[in-house]
Amino acid sequence: MSPLSQRTTPLAQRFRNLPISGAILAPLLALIVLFVISSLASEYFLNTRNLSNVLRQVSYTGIIAIGMTFVIIAGGIDLSVGSMLALVGVVVLYVLNTITDPFQAVILAMLAALVGGALLGLFNGLLVTRGRIAAFVVTLATMSIFRSLALYFTDAAEVSTRNPLFQGVGGGFVLGLPIPVWTFFALAVVSHVVLFHTAYGRHVCAVGANAQVARYSGIRVERVVLSTFLIAGVCVGLSAIMLTSRLNSVSPSDAGYFFELDAIAAVVIGGTALSGGRGTVWGTVIGALILGIINNMLNLTGVSPYLQGLVKGAVILLAVLLQYKRAP
Amino acid sequence: MAEPLLRLEGIGKSFGPVTVLEGITLDIAQGEVLGVLGENGAGKSTLLKIISGIYTPSTGRILIDGQPFAALDPIGARRLGIAMIPQEFNLVASLKVYENVFLGQELRRGGFLDHARMREQTRKLLDSLEVHLDPNQTIERLSVAQKQMVEVARVLVNDARIVILDEPTTVLTSHETAVLFRVVKALVARGVTVLFISHKLKEVRELCDRLLILRDGQLVEHCAVAGMNEEAMARKMVGRELSRIFPDKPEAPVTRGTPALEVRGLCLTNVLHDIDFAVHRGEVLGLAGLVGAGRTEIAETLMGLRRRSAGEILVDGEPVAFTSPRQAHARGLAYLSEDRQGKGLQLSFNVMQNVTDLSLARYVRGLIRHGQERRRAEEYQARLSIKAAHLTAPVGLLSGGNQQKVYFAKLLDIEPEILLLDEPTRGIDISAKQQIYRLIRELTAQGKAVVVISSELEEIIGLADRTLVIRQGRVAATLEGDDINEECIMLYAAGAWEAGTEPATAHEPSQGARP
Amino acid sequence: MPITHANGVTTMTLKRVLQKTALGAALMGTALTASAQEYTIGVTVPAAEHGWTAGLSWWAQQATEELAEKHPDVNFTVLSANSGTAQVANVEDLMIRNLDALVILPYNPATLQAVISEAYEEGIYTVVVDRELETPAQNVFIAGDNPGLGEQAARYIAEELGGEGNILVLEGPPIPINSQRVDAFNRVMENYPGINILASQNTDWNAQQALSVTEDLLGSNPEVDAIWAGDDDVLVAALQAIEENNRDDIQLVVGGGGSQRVIEMIRSDHPIVKGTVTYPPSMIASAIALAVHGVKGERLGDMYHGVPSRMILAADLITADNVEEYFEPDAAY
Repeated sequence: MSPLSQRTTPLAQRFRNLPISGAILAPLLALIVLFVISSLASEYFLNTRNLSNVLRQVSYTGIIAIGMTFVIIAGGIDLSVGSMLALVGVVVLYVLNTITDPFQAVILAMLAALVGGALLGLFNGLLVTRGRIAAFVVTLATMSIFRSLALYFTDAAEVSTRNPLFQGVGGGFVLGLPIPVWTFFALAVVSHVVLFHTAYGRHVCAVGANAQVARYSGIRVERVVLSTFLIAGVCVGLSAIMLTSRLNSVSPSDAGYFFELDAIAAVVIGGTALSGGRGTVWGTVIGALILGIINNMLNLTGVSPYLQGLVKGAVILLAVLLQYKRAP
Repeated sequence: MAEPLLRLEGIGKSFGPVTVLEGITLDIAQGEVLGVLGENGAGKSTLLKIISGIYTPSTGRILIDGQPFAALDPIGARRLGIAMIPQEFNLVASLKVYENVFLGQELRRGGFLDHARMREQTRKLLDSLEVHLDPNQTIERLSVAQKQMVEVARVLVNDARIVILDEPTTVLTSHETAVLFRVVKALVARGVTVLFISHKLKEVRELCDRLLILRDGQLVEHCAVAGMNEEAMARKMVGRELSRIFPDKPEAPVTRGTPALEVRGLCLTNVLHDIDFAVHRGEVLGLAGLVGAGRTEIAETLMGLRRRSAGEILVDGEPVAFTSPRQAHARGLAYLSEDRQGKGLQLSFNVMQNVTDLSLARYVRGLIRHGQERRRAEEYQARLSIKAAHLTAPVGLLSGGNQQKVYFAKLLDIEPEILLLDEPTRGIDISAKQQIYRLIRELTAQGKAVVVISSELEEIIGLADRTLVIRQGRVAATLEGDDINEECIMLYAAGAWEAGTEPATAHEPSQGARP
Repeated sequence: MPITHANGVTTMTLKRVLQKTALGAALMGTALTASAQEYTIGVTVPAAEHGWTAGLSWWAQQATEELAEKHPDVNFTVLSANSGTAQVANVEDLMIRNLDALVILPYNPATLQAVISEAYEEGIYTVVVDRELETPAQNVFIAGDNPGLGEQAARYIAEELGGEGNILVLEGPPIPINSQRVDAFNRVMENYPGINILASQNTDWNAQQALSVTEDLLGSNPEVDAIWAGDDDVLVAALQAIEENNRDDIQLVVGGGGSQRVIEMIRSDHPIVKGTVTYPPSMIASAIALAVHGVKGERLGDMYHGVPSRMILAADLITADNVEEYFEPDAAY
């Protein structure tokens, strides 16, 4: 045993061990500032119902953004998530409206969402790994394909359900918080643990940081990349359950519209490098919250949604600038 | 004496509380070749970055042609004729040689590019350097050495008066090194001053007129090269007596019994042909040869990184067929790649994460036990004397030598029985080298088998118990004992001798200088 | 008493934007909104990504400004959304402001169904505009007459052509509103055996799409007498295709919606653009007015009743004869 390995580690070192470090300090600070500004700008902001609304609004893209975090850390990107959400949503409504027993229908619909999302994610992943096509190109194509299928299956019409139980899933509350919010936070905790406390998570980072080094270290690079797309797909399935059950319907042209950009924005604001290799789930959660609060604040103060885009863009640039400044 | 081209007066540099350079004062004359020596972290690159305007000195001033500057900026330095040829070339791979040479200062005629004139001038430049290179070639088709020549030509187009070569020979074969030296001499003949940074003392002695040795940020020697031998240089650099760089070889290496690793008739389509060898526990087997002879490919095939087309691999007498390094690791093989930064370490990962990169499963009980990871990294830090401010800092911030030690720790952490070390001391300073040589001997003393691939003959000679010379994908010779010398290795490697044909007379080695 | 008339329509001046985003101004806003308002009415419409929705935004702004002057005790907030999901968030955020009335033109009704039901069940006076919910959850529904639009256009075309001729139909996207219009159009045309509908194609009510669809249709149909576009933006695009292809066989182009641009053409005796049928975006203005009266429990004019639960605005045929009545040069549509 070397003299250096002391029995008690100094607190500072312990702190450095934590993944919550400088990387998410900037977005966290931005969130706090934004929170303060919002509570000053609108008397309604701190209203508990408003806060719970914001969290619920955030959770749909937030859940997807967590899946996206895995994909981006592993060096990929998934542009298809928004369209995938619409397609999975259509499948969910189809299952709901086909099965007569309402309880069975809800269970099977949720299962179908998760399995459907996983399969579509797998499809993306296989094209990237086996097909050796850049993730950007693959998911650009499947973005178009998934949306088109969703429109085709429904003749572009909205589908709703009369299932009496379904709305309780995404519209329900547990301990005062909406179920989608619990789902979002639970997913964040699980994902954080997976990303930072399991060998798999380390491998995801390694593949994104330098795939060649990972290959020489015996990591099954393709399998890891494939799995991140699968995770993104499952997250989309989860989000589809929450969104379609909250709305009790799905609009194939509208569901998940621009979700991919919101998800990517949340990931980037959260300090995850778009080039892969490093990033945090907490950062993504914070990024999603920042975007949600911006939308909410601008709505509460009555600012045009056209300007919401401007503010959103400005925040993304600011976040990336801060990260750039931090790099040595 | 004429006014010096470049004069440094009391140059110092601090980063926060850390002083990395202190009171450097020296003159450099026109047409001089100055060798700059020092261990990693001695302040060489800081000094060069100050001269080329990248860093601003904290103290002192720079005089060029007697004109004083408090600090230079990169563009200003360039305008004054100071040019640096970095280790990583700044060439546009998809453009042609002449386009790169004139990049940013294209010759024009009537608003359009004058391709013919640029091509012609590039050809003249290359001819004046006695380099035979077609200006129309695209950069991506060139060898590393040829790219370096393009960089040199580019510098000359800029009318550079001071050219800084940062470890230019690390990536070159000895033949290519000889070409580079010729070019440097051609530069000097044109009145250019050259600053030459190298870890290879022999090269410095051969090429340079004067010598600057830095240690811990201070100038310890500035003198003429003549009259300094390599040992004296090394002593000055390290600041203490180097007992001997290479540890003693064991009296009688064990070569009986079942070899730890045996290779029979190994083939790799178009690259390797019928490779046979065995390495025993407690033995260092050297693989010598020219760059591109197929040595790295042998190691990569053994690790399952390449699919062999024929042959057998036996570990402890049992045939194995690895399709992934993961399986090779499980059977006790570990491979240190020559490309530390591209294939060896995750530069953005911290020391701990790199150390446990291969052995991570050992730290997982449900979840990764970060505390244990840290303790293990600290053990290696002490054992291999890794100098790192924080174990949580990215290894990309460490010096080459310390990175290499982290790389070794990464391999050692799976407790390998057979180590394949590809250029184990590339780009690291002499004391780190010495530590690594000792480590290799410690490993063999513990009964491990080690294969060392090296393009540095000294290293093979000083380290290997037996040596295979590889030429064009075949085993050209197997050398033992006193036969492991520069002459034999080079003659077999270059193809002057064929295996089995003992020469009647000893030839002078055709390449590489002798001490 | 100053009115905090927050609105989200495009015409917002830069100065106001800065006031709304800057912290200091935001604090000032807090002070203002804190003052007692008797009624709060929230309006949300789809974003102006099309002539008709731009008209919608213009009328929403116009109506809230005019009504705020007339009713100082009412406070308006206008939001717009570029997707159904975003509009759900709009409604949720509006509800936080203790709304008394909600006026909504749903981006897509099924997506908005749940959240509109929530508002309605909370006792918010709800006015749904134009797109009907599957499960009614409103105090008032107000819309244009989609079948009427188709019928009026069909009758006019048939009469102008004397019951004989080849026509092209430029449809909208496959949504109920479009099929109501087209089905009614086709039903009327069944009475005119001399009218031959050569093709009926989707343009998504999008000018770019309409241009290329019309070009293709003109290319494959050398003899066309009239074109019916279910939307005035589509009409303008179709006209461009006709002019670029020098087609003088076409005598008549009829639109739908009643945009000022097309009204202008009819006013100036355009050789082929002779008629359109109203489907007025100003319905949002009426809807807001209904919400003001409804929430206050007032009667409408001289009526003996309060606000009716269902109101369909007539589809009026605009031709050279009556064009002056509809001319509103400031309107955005």
